[in-house]
Amino acid sequence: MQPDDLAKALAPRLGDRLLGVETFVGTAGRVRFRPEAALDLFRAVRDELGFRHLSMVGGIDWVDHREVFYVAWSDDARQYVILSADLPADSPHIESATPVWESANWHEREAWELLDIGFDHHPDLRHLLMPDGYAFHPLLRSFKLHEPEELEVKQRSV
Amino acid sequence: MTAAPTVVKPGTTPAESYRLTGELPMVDQAAVPFIEIETVRAREFIPAAKEAFSAMIVEQGQSKVIRPTFNWAGRNSLFPLHWGLACCAIEFAAAFSARFDAERFGIVPRSSPRQCDLMIVNGTVTWKVAHKLITLYEQMPEPKWVIAMGNCATGGGPFRTAYSVVPGVDKLVPVDIYIAGCPPRPEAMIDGILKLETLIRERKE
Ligand code: SF4
Repeated sequence: MQPDDLAKALAPRLGDRLLGVETFVGTAGRVRFRPEAALDLFRAVRDELGFRHLSMVGGIDWVDHREVFYVAWSDDARQYVILSADLPADSPHIESATPVWESANWHEREAWELLDIGFDHHPDLRHLLMPDGYAFHPLLRSFKLHEPEELEVKQRSV
Repeated sequence: MTAAPTVVKPGTTPAESYRLTGELPMVDQAAVPFIEIETVRAREFIPAAKEAFSAMIVEQGQSKVIRPTFNWAGRNSLFPLHWGLACCAIEFAAAFSARFDAERFGIVPRSSPRQCDLMIVNGTVTWKVAHKLITLYEQMPEPKWVIAMGNCATGGGPFRTAYSVVPGVDKLVPVDIYIAGCPPRPEAMIDGILKLETLIRERKE
């Protein structure tokens, strides 16, 4: 499957919510879409193009906006496809992919806790890797790591 | 544990906020399922025995017979908690297998914290496991000791600036012996336990 095939198949479904399909090495292509089109696009990609397995959900903090991307795998074409959307930095949120791909559940929990991307209508948006109530979103660029000299060593008299 | 919400200043880091407030870096401590433990020690079941025991300790605690005897018994049957946090646990396991055979020093790993008097923190302590570690420590009966095994438990090791790693287990529980290495060899671990036995031998109170 080539980027052109993807564009041809998806354009009638999405209209101007499809921002373009780019070449991406090692995959069928990188589909850029508006966040409103999320569920329509996921259904089309799964049911019509046959990408039935979602292998990861990730995100990037570009400071002025936040990108969320989905990587899906097709057993028939033996190819990956990347679906990527740009979200506004002040309130990044997108519809959850769990109704389409069950495996999105934990991936979205991780993307939420590390990058503060909200997934609407997610069934169970809790912390995954960090303890409940953890106060930070550590993969954001505004998060600062502590400096080694802040550490102190306590001694206990025996 | 207190249920008061911790105020985390924006821009601080997990380790810094823990140092400033003394609370784990959570927004809402009440949201954290923390198992509350009442430490019940065996000798507190029978008040009479407790009285007799404490009178004996008070009177003869400093004596040249009772205290050394307790210390001798304690240091020759150290029961570490049988758990593994990260890669150091492999060396921990190796120390108890045939080649190094730490059991010849009377060190027998037990699976319940209530049977243990030694906690060997063998690996990376994350903020997620911090609650469990404190809970396990509080479940252990007195007297108890902690060994920080490996660079991770000592000071965060390779991950000391990471967002998810406690920079040193001494931020959570008092540590008696630090063992350096990434990972320490089983000999180093056994050496650390023997050093702890020296500490116990000199214990007065
Ligand atoms: S000190 Fe090294 S070997 Fe031990 S847990 Fe840390 S990274 Fe693993």
